[in-house]
Amino acid sequence: MTQRIVTAADLDKLVAGWAKSGAVYAPVEVKDWTEFRRIVSLAETDLTRVNTKLSARGLLFPHCETMFRFEASRPDKAQEADEPETQVVLGVRSCDAAGIAVLDKFFSGQGETDTYYQRRRDRTTLVGLSCHAPADTCFCSAVGGSPTGTRGLDLLLTDLGGRYLAEPLTDKGAALVKDMPEASASDLAKKAELADRAEAAITERIDTRKLKGLLDTADGNPIWEELSLPCVNCGACTFVCPTCHCFDITDETRKGKGARIRVWDTCQSCTYSQHASGHNPRLAPSARFRNRTMDKFRYTVDQVGEVSCVGCGRCIRECPAGIDICETVERLMLALVK
Amino acid sequence: MPDNPYVPIPVRVQNVRVESDDRTLRTYDLVFADDAEPFEYLPGQFCQLSILGKGEAAFGIASSPTEREFLRFTVNRVGTVTTALHYLKEGEELGLRGPLGNHYPVEKFKGQNVVLVGGGFAFTTLRSLAAYLLANRSDYGDITVIYGARRPGLLLYRDELTEWEKRGDVAVHLTIDEPAAGWDKAVGFVPTVTGKVRPSPKDAWAVVCGPPVMIKYTMPVLLDLGFAPDRIYTSLERRMKCGVGKCGRCNIGPKYVCTDGPVFSYAELASLPEGV
Repeated sequence: MTQRIVTAADLDKLVAGWAKSGAVYAPVEVKDWTEFRRIVSLAETDLTRVNTKLSARGLLFPHCETMFRFEASRPDKAQEADEPETQVVLGVRSCDAAGIAVLDKFFSGQGETDTYYQRRRDRTTLVGLSCHAPADTCFCSAVGGSPTGTRGLDLLLTDLGGRYLAEPLTDKGAALVKDMPEASASDLAKKAELADRAEAAITERIDTRKLKGLLDTADGNPIWEELSLPCVNCGACTFVCPTCHCFDITDETRKGKGARIRVWDTCQSCTYSQHASGHNPRLAPSARFRNRTMDKFRYTVDQVGEVSCVGCGRCIRECPAGIDICETVERLMLALVK
Repeated sequence: MPDNPYVPIPVRVQNVRVESDDRTLRTYDLVFADDAEPFEYLPGQFCQLSILGKGEAAFGIASSPTEREFLRFTVNRVGTVTTALHYLKEGEELGLRGPLGNHYPVEKFKGQNVVLVGGGFAFTTLRSLAAYLLANRSDYGDITVIYGARRPGLLLYRDELTEWEKRGDVAVHLTIDEPAAGWDKAVGFVPTVTGKVRPSPKDAWAVVCGPPVMIKYTMPVLLDLGFAPDRIYTSLERRMKCGVGKCGRCNIGPKYVCTDGPVFSYAELASLPEGV
């Protein structure tokens, strides 16, 4: 597809146009971090930070979502919830977009299609933004990604300094920039140079290619006790993770009307797997810690054919106990090869 | 909302009865409310029962697909949803999603002997299986049922158990934990009684369903008798939500109990991190 050039002024106009026909979300500064918020103008955004506090997953799989409504007097009849709006998500980093590609597999790539995820996904256009200066917690290239990766995106923007190289990846993405001028060979060369520099800035801290066979026998290893010692099972890592997809379903009623809603859940909570009888198959905190680590690097390989860590580094940044998932995996591998 | 796997379909309570002497267990026979055709299912599958405003919970189907008139569930009153279910009266409606999950491998059982080992109120899907095997009696070899509860009044489907005892083409061994007045059958825990009954592993399959502790102690007994790990099946329970492999709640390692299970062979379980 034809690569194009979008100046900052053009992007401003494009955003204003998108905002007229639907919602536009982009990273916006909030206190000392950024998060995806609804915008109407490019001036509201802060596209300079590497990662938003939460990944973009919430725009497709909201923290709290109404599945359907009902009236208390008719507890047998479900009424459909409102249809989601069309949305353009601007400034999605490649790791987050890769995370969405993983969520696609979970929610609609196998078995039943998740109605709620899919209808948002169908109405969403993802506009990515290449990373020039990865953070010291970033390790996307160690898990098959890249600071300029295009997986999951409709369009990738690369900041060439006041103007963006726009690479359409889908028809939806191409339509967004169809009226923009074509990029020149020197634009493409400049992008390649920036991509190489960003890639070189990431220190590869784990090698997931070595993991698969090793982790087959990792569940029963006593090292989990040691690895999980600092963990307080707060679940922060699961809430910031771009690929965590667990949810709880609950009913809420008020004044005769109610809704069945779903809310993000965390496998770190002790009630997550507790039966009604009180029996809990994952009672030990170390078992819950093991579940999360193994899920990312081993279980999802069986489930969706790939490691489900995209290397965004958020869990490292947000962990109150200072646990670094790369270090966890490294120590685990050392224990397993012993 | 066509094809939305999360929206329950309306079903009506045709019949409800108190199942246990402590009144914590009730059995419901449900029929489809909108004259919908009964769905196809096999023993071992489960459904989500739903009372809008209270929530949803998973229950094994206790009826057999050969009983096409109704879907049977036995509900233990233990939380919000099950309490709301206990208040349901005949003729009232509720929501249902299903059938969900896999089933007992009844095709593999054909021409073979089947041993059913159950404990407490986990006998529901074993009742489905037994009713299915008995409805297709000539397809199967010897059928043995070993079933225990804490006391006689906690045994499910007592009238039916009595009928089975009279049939002559199924060996029924009932047991209770401690001696009770009027009880002339076995006394002892299910694993111990299984060891005494000594079902032969020859051309046989075992299906074990019960509380985790019963499963844990019954497995070694069956292995000692010579049952191979891939010929022992069990049905697992997890705190499921979606029932369709999306919400992640019921995982055991890479397996989801709702879509990869709830029925697993002991050989499969041995390779998973948590088991029952």
